Amino acid sequence: MKGILLKDLYIAKSNILVTAVSLIVLGLGLSFLLEASALLALAPAAATTAVFISITSDASSKWNKSVMTMPVSRSRIIGEKFAFYLILAVCGTAAALVPCGVLALSGMAITLPSLCLYGTIGMSAALLAGGISLPCAYLFDPEKSQIVFMMSFLASTGMIAALVLLVNLFLPVKDHILLTFCIVLAAAVIWFFLSYQITVRIYGKQDIV
Amino acid sequence: MDHALTVSGLTKIYQDFVLDHVSFCVPCGAIVGLIGENGAGKSTTVHAALGLIQRNAGHVAILERAELDDGIKEQIGVVFDGSNYPEILSPRKLNRVMKHIYRSWEEQAYFRLLAQFSLPLDKPVKQFSKGMKMKLAIAVALSHHAKLLILDEATSGLDPVIRDDILDLLLDFVQDETHAVLLSSHITSDLEKVADYIVLLHEGKVVFSEAKDELMERYGILKCGASQFAALDPADRVAYRKMDYEIQVLVSDRERMQKKYPQAMTVPASIDEIMLLYIKGEKE
Repeated sequence: MKGILLKDLYIAKSNILVTAVSLIVLGLGLSFLLEASALLALAPAAATTAVFISITSDASSKWNKSVMTMPVSRSRIIGEKFAFYLILAVCGTAAALVPCGVLALSGMAITLPSLCLYGTIGMSAALLAGGISLPCAYLFDPEKSQIVFMMSFLASTGMIAALVLLVNLFLPVKDHILLTFCIVLAAAVIWFFLSYQITVRIYGKQDIV
Repeated sequence: MDHALTVSGLTKIYQDFVLDHVSFCVPCGAIVGLIGENGAGKSTTVHAALGLIQRNAGHVAILERAELDDGIKEQIGVVFDGSNYPEILSPRKLNRVMKHIYRSWEEQAYFRLLAQFSLPLDKPVKQFSKGMKMKLAIAVALSHHAKLLILDEATSGLDPVIRDDILDLLLDFVQDETHAVLLSSHITSDLEKVADYIVLLHEGKVVFSEAKDELMERYGILKCGASQFAALDPADRVAYRKMDYEIQVLVSDRERMQKKYPQAMTVPASIDEIMLLYIKGEKE
């Protein structure tokens, strides 16, 4: 898996750098308008765009076909893409923490609960969106999967809202907001894992030409 | 081990095309040429043999193993037509990727081949010509102790000098008796130079699978007029084409035909001519 992960890092290197710098600059800029920790809700999803750059590049360079002849199983190819997505989401969160840290050191009020809250919202949104867009990237052609990729972020916000409403049936959300979003994050992790299993099944039977 | 690749009864059904019970084998120490017109099923055969597409029926054994696991994939080198690797990578970066993919990756052999092919180390693949991309793919295929090389239309679109370089490499590769090459191509002149066996595919079926020398020794083209043609025993005619001033008849036993029909001129047939007559010629 290390080899194909390295290949994806080479492909997405410039995009990752631009995203990281943008998140840091955006975080510092946003601090004048709203709470800087809110950037954590956006950062993981924004950072994962590099995965789709690598998927598009794989299709256009016919790497999908070449890698199938190498000692790498189909499930490992999919596993690497999901791992890459997860790594980028975590890196996005880390990049967004940089301006938060700088602002906190300069005296701005940034609390740990708000960091945790926005962090769980951001990771949940990224995992729910990835759970939709990654299988679709292997089901549809690159053009369609790019549309799905953009739509998946809209869908993930809807899914979060639905999950919060569902939790609200058993637990008053307003009183337990962080716990609620931890439950949402747990559901997103399960969704992402199930999506990986489904993608492995889809890709295992797919003709690669 | 006798055969590096055995394909038997390979069938793949598409809506508009059927690869129909294709069977052939690639003996160790040999180069097998898979020929046929565009759309004959060469790439489908290669894809199905490599497990890229699901097959509807048939068996494939690579290095005498039916299961194409990582251990077997380690021992095969595959080169496809056109691009094989992400265009943003340079040969040096590709080395770093490949050494984490192949356990038997030999960095020194790879850099030696790059030097032999005069390929730049740090130039991205997107700036390479088609010939350079092919050479890079062959360098990768030869840098992990592959025993079986599969080249799918790898020489198409290349100039004769680069093609000749690649063919020389393949000849070197099969000097080791445990190595073998399956070369799918519609450039029959390349196969005439290097192949030991020829498999002709037409409309998804194997027309023949024979040793090249035997094929070129036995087959011939009998050139005759209409009256001579009418006098020919239909059983002697494999296929024929009516030209402007003569009729060309493909015969499968040149010497016997020369004796049987001394008035007609029987000449040796090239693989190109055999393929053309089989595919475009009329049959009894």
